[in-house]
Amino acid sequence: MMISLKRMNAILVKDFKDFSRNLAVSTILILPIGLGIMYGQTGPNSLEANFLLINLAFVMVATFVQCCLIAEEKEKNTLRGLMLSPASTAEIIGGKSLLTFILTMLTVIITIFFTDYRPANMGVIAVAFILTVFFYIGFGTLLGLFSKSVLEASVIVMPVVTVFSLGSFLPAFVDQYPIAKIGMYLPNIQLIELAVIVEQGGGFGDVLSELLIILAWVVVLFLLTRVMYRKKMID
Amino acid sequence: MTLQFINAEKRIHDSIVFPSFNLTVKPGQAVAIYSSVNVREQLMEVLLENSRLSGGEVRVSGSSYIKSKQQLGFLFLHHGLYERLSIVEMIRFTKQLYTSNLSIEDTLHMVQLDSKWKVKIKELSYSERRRVQLACLLVQNPSYYIFEEADQNLDLESKRIFLTVLQDLKEQEKGVLILTGNMESAVTAGDDVFRLDDNGLHSIQTRDTLEDQSAADEISVTAESVLPVRFEKIPTKVNEKIVLFDPPEIDYVESNEGQSFLHIKGEGFPTNFTLNELEGRLLPFGFFRCHRSYIVNLQKVREVITWTRNSYSLVLDDTEKSTIPLSKTKMVELKEMLGL
Repeated sequence: MMISLKRMNAILVKDFKDFSRNLAVSTILILPIGLGIMYGQTGPNSLEANFLLINLAFVMVATFVQCCLIAEEKEKNTLRGLMLSPASTAEIIGGKSLLTFILTMLTVIITIFFTDYRPANMGVIAVAFILTVFFYIGFGTLLGLFSKSVLEASVIVMPVVTVFSLGSFLPAFVDQYPIAKIGMYLPNIQLIELAVIVEQGGGFGDVLSELLIILAWVVVLFLLTRVMYRKKMID
Repeated sequence: MTLQFINAEKRIHDSIVFPSFNLTVKPGQAVAIYSSVNVREQLMEVLLENSRLSGGEVRVSGSSYIKSKQQLGFLFLHHGLYERLSIVEMIRFTKQLYTSNLSIEDTLHMVQLDSKWKVKIKELSYSERRRVQLACLLVQNPSYYIFEEADQNLDLESKRIFLTVLQDLKEQEKGVLILTGNMESAVTAGDDVFRLDDNGLHSIQTRDTLEDQSAADEISVTAESVLPVRFEKIPTKVNEKIVLFDPPEIDYVESNEGQSFLHIKGEGFPTNFTLNELEGRLLPFGFFRCHRSYIVNLQKVREVITWTRNSYSLVLDDTEKSTIPLSKTKMVELKEMLGL
């Protein structure tokens, strides 16, 4: 299947215009950035606090925005028109994901800028961030396909937001509750572990296991989304 | 280059939605199918490939439907538009999606939205949204157009624009299939009109066949007007009762599936007379046979609308502002009567 960049770009531009005029969704970008500014004011922060914000930015922008974008297409009956058009599914989802990707990266960079988090090894962190964005966008797509309206989407996305942002505190409970060890494999925790290693001077070789775990999550979610798409689009 | 239904039939469980029928839409032809909502929806589902025909197939230009589906363009009753985009952004997006080379300005002009091109879609009225939807369809430039209830609830201006666009499409040798539950709309928009229900596909005679028909009508009219008609009131049946109406009360008479209906103050009453018998009875009271299936009370006519050179409608002065089709040949007669 050939992917037409022109069509993907058309969808990206359309979604950007639509998104920027949809204040209910676009103002969500302010939350992580605003918190970043406040954290920055209080002086240097621990790595955990920084990553609480970074994970929040990821889940709030990538998952929430992607989920709302797709749910709105379904709610407003526009997805049918898109699917009848020559644009393939890959182009439709690709165009949307591209917008979310750009928005998430921008938000995360701005948030990091304000919190004064300067990673020791920029390359490793960048690769980890890009992998993580794929995970969150995949999650957003999945939830978006699942929900029928924007309202429903913003409700079902809330538990996800909670798990992946506040989940950053999980390591503190692990000694107390051994069952919480399973949670240590979540991509947000893996991201923190990776950052800790990087701060201790680790390179790509040292964080390979963390990167692979995140990659595994991405693959699982993409497969799930594919199955979900097949199931939901037949109706 | 045709859109064909070959022995197409649809059954749901035990009930027949429509039995096997054959229909061909040629380029430059507008075919209207008048049907119930259920039949229309099932037909749309089949065309959208959400459900399959129980028998037969649909072919586009001789090849199978799946391969040539892209040649079809749909105008849905329940429209999907990005409400936060402006009209021109919406059309440009559709144009890029379909990589078409029609000009946006021309399309905007065709649906006469050029003065509003920057207005956001959520600020438009229902009729204007339908026109944006039509513009998006035009810019896709398909070979066949499927219109689902294209002129339902539209204002007069939009209706006229729709019929003008339809005329243009026919001149451009495009095939048009109109699905509607409104007889007036089917007769005004379609060249060939069919009724599709669980008894099959039946042709409804319209303009082309009208000339010979009207000649035959005239003979029967003269024959009947010789008879002394003492009784002026028209009997209708409501449940078990017989209700009598004075001719001046009647707004118009419509023939639907072989049954004549008197329309009085927005309500239809069935009567046992045929349209020809009624025409003979009502002629002295200023009634006029404006269409094969309609007789109208000329006293109640407020407006004569010219959609295009070939299609006209009468607007009545009743509570519902009913519109009634007026055929081309009858338009000439009417003009003579009015002394134009």
